[in-house]
Amino acid sequence: MKTLRAYLSTLLIAALVITSLPVAAAPATPQSMDLVSTQSVLSADRAGADRERINEILARADVQDQLLKQGVDLDEVDARVAALSDSEAQQMAEQLEMMPAGAGGGVIGALFAVFIILLITDILGLTDVYPFTR
Amino acid sequence: MTTKSLNSMSLNTTFLNNMLSNARFAGVFILLLLLSGCARNPVLLQSTYQALPAHTEITSVPFYAQTEFQCGPATLAMVLNHQDVDTDVEQLIPQVFLPERDGSVQPEMLATVRRYDQLAYPIRGTMDALLGHLAAGDPVVVMQNLSLPIYPMWHYAVAIGYDLPNETLILRSGEIERHTMSFSRFDATWARAERWGFVVADPGTLPAGITARNALEAISAYEESHGPRAALSSWQAFNEHHPTNAIGQFALGNALYANQQPEEARNAFERATELDVKMGAAWLNLGLLLLQQEEPIAAREALEHAASLTGSWQEKARLALESLNKD
Repeated sequence: MKTLRAYLSTLLIAALVITSLPVAAAPATPQSMDLVSTQSVLSADRAGADRERINEILARADVQDQLLKQGVDLDEVDARVAALSDSEAQQMAEQLEMMPAGAGGGVIGALFAVFIILLITDILGLTDVYPFTR
Repeated sequence: MTTKSLNSMSLNTTFLNNMLSNARFAGVFILLLLLSGCARNPVLLQSTYQALPAHTEITSVPFYAQTEFQCGPATLAMVLNHQDVDTDVEQLIPQVFLPERDGSVQPEMLATVRRYDQLAYPIRGTMDALLGHLAAGDPVVVMQNLSLPIYPMWHYAVAIGYDLPNETLILRSGEIERHTMSFSRFDATWARAERWGFVVADPGTLPAGITARNALEAISAYEESHGPRAALSSWQAFNEHHPTNAIGQFALGNALYANQQPEEARNAFERATELDVKMGAAWLNLGLLLLQQEEPIAAREALEHAASLTGSWQEKARLALESLNKD
């Protein structure tokens, strides 16, 4: 993955440099000047534009990898990555491991001490773990 | 070693043990005191009591009991069906559930809403804002940590109503169709998930009470996957709510331009530059648009503005100016 990442970033840097060359070298016609997108303005305070684009493309590859590891079906992975906005993809790439995953399952196999503490906090009205405390 | 010293050692250990267990008790006691200190009733603004009806319950929200760990897909099915979107839990599970994590993560909850051509707006994380959305008729998907930070139990539920005099919130939650919970207990579990929640809305509608920044990000994310033309009506709704937001006008300009309405786009870009004279991107887009409309004098003026402002778009503005000077 590391080598793939290094290879990909070199490739991307090269691609971005090459695609930006004609604009710098050739006389730019007004038609070649696309308007600045809303997304790039909103992400402007995050980082430099080109580095940002590299990170975003890498982030999507990363997220794809991680989703597969988390047991998502191969057929669904592409659609799920595509549904994420750039900033969401980056968030996922950076912190998926630490992200809370809403599950709502019961406390199964908890230690007895944990059971007691949660029982008390439930009664105190701090938590909502055991239905029978209500 | 003498008997005497052995005795004193065993005495010491019992003394230590006693000390330790006392300290442990004291620790637990202090911890509980601290925790109950946090369990105060969340204080609602006086304006909330005055502005909102005493009772609200959006009974039209359907209920799907979660199976296993699938509260994410279940809550999405409830709010999407409430929006008349045709989907169900079975269809949503492969789209939002992470099997290895036994749960669903927040960015994918928002992204999945957009896959059904709906917008997901994160709400402001206060009880006042939450109750305000419910009073306006929008069910709110909330994230909670039902347990304690050291042993988290992350959970999604749909808030559908409240009872102000009794200080209770009404939720569709887990396997309970109508789960009533005191404001204080709910707020304690909600606060442990950083008071995260969102409402779902059709394109072209912006629920009241959403912060400008959250709305900008939500509509922009929708635009990324659906294109600027599909986002046009939402940008229009945004600008009705926030008429003095420069980024909103700028975004509207881009969407109008994509929708082949260059005149209207030009007006929007001009308003953006009036609202924020330091917004380089707005000056640049205005200049580029004027170039296309073959108005070189006005274009030059806008591009010179853009080129004089330091930022990511300065370089592009300079290039456009150079090409204009060559002609």
